[in-house]
Amino acid sequence: MSKWSTLQSRSFLESSARERALGLVDEGTFTEFVGPFDRRTSPHLEVLGEAVEFDDGIVTGVGKVGKTPVFVISQEGRFIGGAVGEVGGAKMVGTLKAAIAFADKIAAEFPNATDEEKPVVVISFETGGVRLHEANAGLLAHAEVMDQFQRARGKVPVITLIGSKVGCFGGMGFVAAATDAIVMSEFGRLGLTGPEVIEQEMGKDEFDSADRALVYRTTGGRHKYVMGDCNAIVDDTIAAFRAEVVKLAKLPVSAFEAMRRIGSEALVAKQLKGVALAAEMQPKDARDVWKHAGNADPIALANVPLDEFRSTVKRLAL
Amino acid sequence: MKTQKKWDNLATDTAERMAAASQFIGNGKRVEPKDIVGLLEAVIRPGDRVNIEGNNQKQADFLAECLLKVDKSKIHDLHMVQSAVPLAAHLDLFEQGIAKKLDFAFGGPQAGRVAKFIKEGKLELGAIHTYLELFARYFLDLTPKVSLICAFEADREGNLYTGFNTEDTPVIVEATKFRQGIVIAQVNKIVDKLPRVDIPAGWVDAVVESPRPFFVEPLFTRDPALVTNNQILLGMLCLKGIYAEYGVQRINHGIGFLTSAIELMLPTYGEELGLKGKVCTHMILNPHPTMIPAIEEGWVDTIHCFGGELGMEKYVAARPDVFFVGPDGTLRSNRAYAQTAGHYALDMFIGGTLQIDPYGNSSTATANRVAGFGGAPNMGCDPKGRRHVTQSWLKCGQELPSMPEQIGTMPRGKRLVVQGIETFGEGRDPAFVEELDAWQLAKNAGLDLPPVMIYGDDVTHIVTEEGIAYLSRCKDMETRMAAIRAVAGFTPVGINAKPEETRRLRDAKIVMTPEDLGVDRDRATRDMLAAKNIRDLVTWSGGLYEPPARFRNW
Repeated sequence: MSKWSTLQSRSFLESSARERALGLVDEGTFTEFVGPFDRRTSPHLEVLGEAVEFDDGIVTGVGKVGKTPVFVISQEGRFIGGAVGEVGGAKMVGTLKAAIAFADKIAAEFPNATDEEKPVVVISFETGGVRLHEANAGLLAHAEVMDQFQRARGKVPVITLIGSKVGCFGGMGFVAAATDAIVMSEFGRLGLTGPEVIEQEMGKDEFDSADRALVYRTTGGRHKYVMGDCNAIVDDTIAAFRAEVVKLAKLPVSAFEAMRRIGSEALVAKQLKGVALAAEMQPKDARDVWKHAGNADPIALANVPLDEFRSTVKRLAL
Repeated sequence: MKTQKKWDNLATDTAERMAAASQFIGNGKRVEPKDIVGLLEAVIRPGDRVNIEGNNQKQADFLAECLLKVDKSKIHDLHMVQSAVPLAAHLDLFEQGIAKKLDFAFGGPQAGRVAKFIKEGKLELGAIHTYLELFARYFLDLTPKVSLICAFEADREGNLYTGFNTEDTPVIVEATKFRQGIVIAQVNKIVDKLPRVDIPAGWVDAVVESPRPFFVEPLFTRDPALVTNNQILLGMLCLKGIYAEYGVQRINHGIGFLTSAIELMLPTYGEELGLKGKVCTHMILNPHPTMIPAIEEGWVDTIHCFGGELGMEKYVAARPDVFFVGPDGTLRSNRAYAQTAGHYALDMFIGGTLQIDPYGNSSTATANRVAGFGGAPNMGCDPKGRRHVTQSWLKCGQELPSMPEQIGTMPRGKRLVVQGIETFGEGRDPAFVEELDAWQLAKNAGLDLPPVMIYGDDVTHIVTEEGIAYLSRCKDMETRMAAIRAVAGFTPVGINAKPEETRRLRDAKIVMTPEDLGVDRDRATRDMLAAKNIRDLVTWSGGLYEPPARFRNW
């Protein structure tokens, strides 16, 4: 494991779940929950004769960013594509519960606590969704996580970070969409059905999963930023993601309502406007939507350095 | 009385054929796409030797598909003499009986069908060659009568611009046209003025603007995101134990992730070892995108290319101090010249393989695929005709204890031929085997010899994650086999290694482990790479590299 200071300049895309968890919070503040030494491995994989991991592919714990207690959930794509099973799912749920309980305790014992002294949850997604080897338990975990989001709402902000190799797909795409704020890098990908599955079901003419430029401009960070599916697009370093967490952690809980994608009648109405626009436009490619949003040259915009993208891009107004 | 002998039979024959084809050929030798099948039926006769241009990169694919549509009763039993048969159409010709015999160098994606057709008797195999070997035979006993070539552009007179992807075109056209043969070109576009003339109109008989641009495979693009820590370890061993040890300056990097890893570590680990200016200064290489960081950091004096590489056009054009760029400002690749330089003038060839046997013979053949050789054997061998001296060539020759057995006290150099391979490859198959699959293939496809990519007596170094076997330092076959066993890990070959024997080899510096070489395994991580993904390469190139869509990660 690299030192905290060297982790900061590291590529977020290249970093393991534990490196991300450690690097996102202040130096030396991370305490892991149910770490590898506890050896909570998946009972289902063992029955199937599959390899297990001592952390079940998810790193959970708590640390600090400035004065803010930060509960961290970080998924590891190199273990079964980051798929969520029973143990990993329980670790996610348990961490969310701990964050909510901690927020309740602070509210009860320290009524004068400032916004930045109240806890937040950060989830670094790297997953294709449910682990098929233990699908029922995995699906249940998805539901339980969503349930905890409802309990956390207005109390503990839940911040999503997406910039790892696998991206965030499948059921976990829904889960990410239900959080309060989403931060991505241009290499991050967010969606429901993964590119290969779309191709398999609908054919190469519908979606060519080998065309990575197509995959990225449909699910990647730049497109999600244009669409408003993510709130911020940052450079590919742990430090850049961390800086965004630092910024968000200071905000009052109420500020997160405006960043959400779902969860109110107004937001439903807004999403429906998007559906109506799609029906009216019949876009053939993400580029059509970029153009509609006011970007005259979408091809160039997809290629310019990220700084230039951020300063010149027009985002879709619904 | 002496009878009048005719000395222009070839030209007369060509003139007859061209007369029959004249109805299809308009101004500037132009033929409409719809008339190509008719044209081919007019100029090709049964049993002709025919070349369809194509290699592991560009393909005259439109002409190949047109040849497939000719009337089989008019054209059949052709003898195809061509670099490669990677397109389905190339093999369909045999399926349909239009072609009968094949002399080639590279099979590519159709390798399985080549083996199957040989077995079924649909394809009579002449020989499997290297590129250079096949080009040589174009000028000896395999000269094509009709060649179907491809170019980027033609002008109104029929001059051709092959540009960045010139590749095999000059050698095919010269062999064909100077034996009075017929040259037909498919071009992407007919224009008023060409950037430069690569093939003069006088050597071209017909030009067609193809309905879509010719196919080019970006075969030499390796995504840095897929380089593994193990490949990085192998790369570090190579840099410290071979590049630095011998000071190799004139190099070809084979295709594969190990050499990509090395390219991406020149500005990092190579810099740390102080190798800049001392190694990799002259290279015979396609425009590998993974070379961009090293080029930008000033490692490389010159690169000559076999072919182009999609997306590298602008970058290469903007670095004329390094690449062979014409007065018009674009690269001219040339496979024949690059292979000649690769055969005679390199100090080292380094590449991967699929299997190595206990003697050090290596092969990429599998039991049911006739994959061919491409160019690797010409670079992965010790060229016996070489006479000029470079320091690393001489050093490797001086090391060789077996040399006096062959030429007494006479000093001589030797090319470094390095095979880098993980002991267990893709699909967890062992890389070191008791018998190469090439033997089984020879049996299955009825070949005269098992196809060996690089023979054991040419290999000087084998590099695995266990360490380096310096075969150049082995005095006899027994020592070579012991050195190979020592780095073969837990493969069927490696498990026969004896610890005390390996110890002796390590003491004699015939085998060097990472620890012997002072390479820290813990540092073999992706942090060593100067670029970690395609986007990084674009950034290094200042936006000049334009990767094909399928390689983008943004």
